[in-house]
Amino acid sequence: MPIIIQQRSKCIGCNYCVEQAPEHWRMSKKDGKATLIGAVQKKEFWSLKIQEAEKEKNVNAAKACPVKIIDIR
Amino acid sequence: MQKVELMSPAGSFEALHAAIQGGADSVYFGVEQLNMRARATMNFQMDDLKEIAFICKEHHVRSYLTLNTIVYDHDLALMKNIINAAKLAGIDAVIASDQAVIHHAFTQKLEVHISTQLNITNIETIQFYSHFADVMVLSRELSLGQMKKICDAIKKENIKGPAGKLIEIEVFAHGALCMAVSGKCYLSLHTQNASANRGACLQNCRRKYKVIDLEDGHELELDNEYIMSPKDLCTIDFLNELIATGVSVLKIEGRGKSADYVKTVTQCYREAIDLYYEGMYTKIRAKEWIQRLKQVYNRDFWGGYYLGQELGEWTDSSGSKALTRKIYVGKGNHYYPKTGIAEFLIEAYSLSVGDKVAIISPTKGVLETTITSLHVNAHGAMDTANKGDLCAFPLEVAVKPADKLYKIIETAVEEKI
Repeated sequence: MPIIIQQRSKCIGCNYCVEQAPEHWRMSKKDGKATLIGAVQKKEFWSLKIQEAEKEKNVNAAKACPVKIIDIR
Repeated sequence: MQKVELMSPAGSFEALHAAIQGGADSVYFGVEQLNMRARATMNFQMDDLKEIAFICKEHHVRSYLTLNTIVYDHDLALMKNIINAAKLAGIDAVIASDQAVIHHAFTQKLEVHISTQLNITNIETIQFYSHFADVMVLSRELSLGQMKKICDAIKKENIKGPAGKLIEIEVFAHGALCMAVSGKCYLSLHTQNASANRGACLQNCRRKYKVIDLEDGHELELDNEYIMSPKDLCTIDFLNELIATGVSVLKIEGRGKSADYVKTVTQCYREAIDLYYEGMYTKIRAKEWIQRLKQVYNRDFWGGYYLGQELGEWTDSSGSKALTRKIYVGKGNHYYPKTGIAEFLIEAYSLSVGDKVAIISPTKGVLETTITSLHVNAHGAMDTANKGDLCAFPLEVAVKPADKLYKIIETAVEEKI
């Protein structure tokens, strides 16, 4: 199963990941950064297992990220 | 006579102290991601606001928070939190461009400065923003004559800000320029999805380009392939004319620049401003300052659009043309206060007697010195300390592990090596 990993502290809140994969991303009203919905945190990294079919949208989100903090494995 | 205010960038605690050391009257800085250097890893956090305000008050330096990106709906809560925290911490003003930011800061009674991002180029725009703001940064593209007209008109028309004082005009005095009008550039977003207007500029304008006519395949002959990268703005050689326009604040660009840069540039402009008011500012002195400014990061200098040239001047290299460069050598290990000896751990390269060094510290700023004697490990006096060695030399101020030791080398010498 693919995994999305986000280094959330470095997010600059551009909203592109939400545009690409709104099922998995939303903008936090608290700190203006992108939140990976349902993810678990380990230090500054947040990760979430997704279905193969959901991978493409998130790969697009990773490509669109201007600060390259999203990794799909 | 009210002296012009010198404002320096503080991208880190090191640079903040360096600005104070250099003699800045005020500093500006960003917290979190809503500022034009969002990518800077050294951006301050919200928790740092109180310490910044404390350090600035202690040194009688005014502190300004930059919150000047474009702002989306999802940013509004963070924006308000930052402004409320800044007000609470005792930060003196916010530098804003988005109307939501201007409005919120105004309602919180936090002084508002209008960012250059709003591209102010005429007196009626100043009239408009005077309902909210006390200080306004003019567009970087105006000439000295246009600046003077605006400054004169503020006095003549008695345009006052919310504080009840005449609107103060701020202009950029030194630092990087870009090819876009007031920094409103689409290039980085268009090519790499990283918006300059969200502080994520990837600076593709600083690269080399070729221009090819696709119809006939001819390549335009360019004597310089850096066709989109202007030289850095430097006004020190016409600072008398700049001050004479009636501007109140001179701003040094560079929240992404290092502490030693901030100290050197601030010092040069401090001296120039002080001598101007003593009637001792001369073009000969200006040449000396330019020589000093060339030691630190620069893309070579020009006077921007202030002198009304028709065409920009483009740099001929991608990076800095600084005459000196600093290389990291090691970090602070111990300080012996009785003897005034500082001990450093050498982590890279080597250090020798005669080397010029800079110690950059988050608590003390920048300290430059020359190594006159060196005590290495348990060997006693030596000429050189190498990687892995503990070395000690006399230093006036105490060092801590967070203090970094750099060797200053001349770029020309480095190229020969």
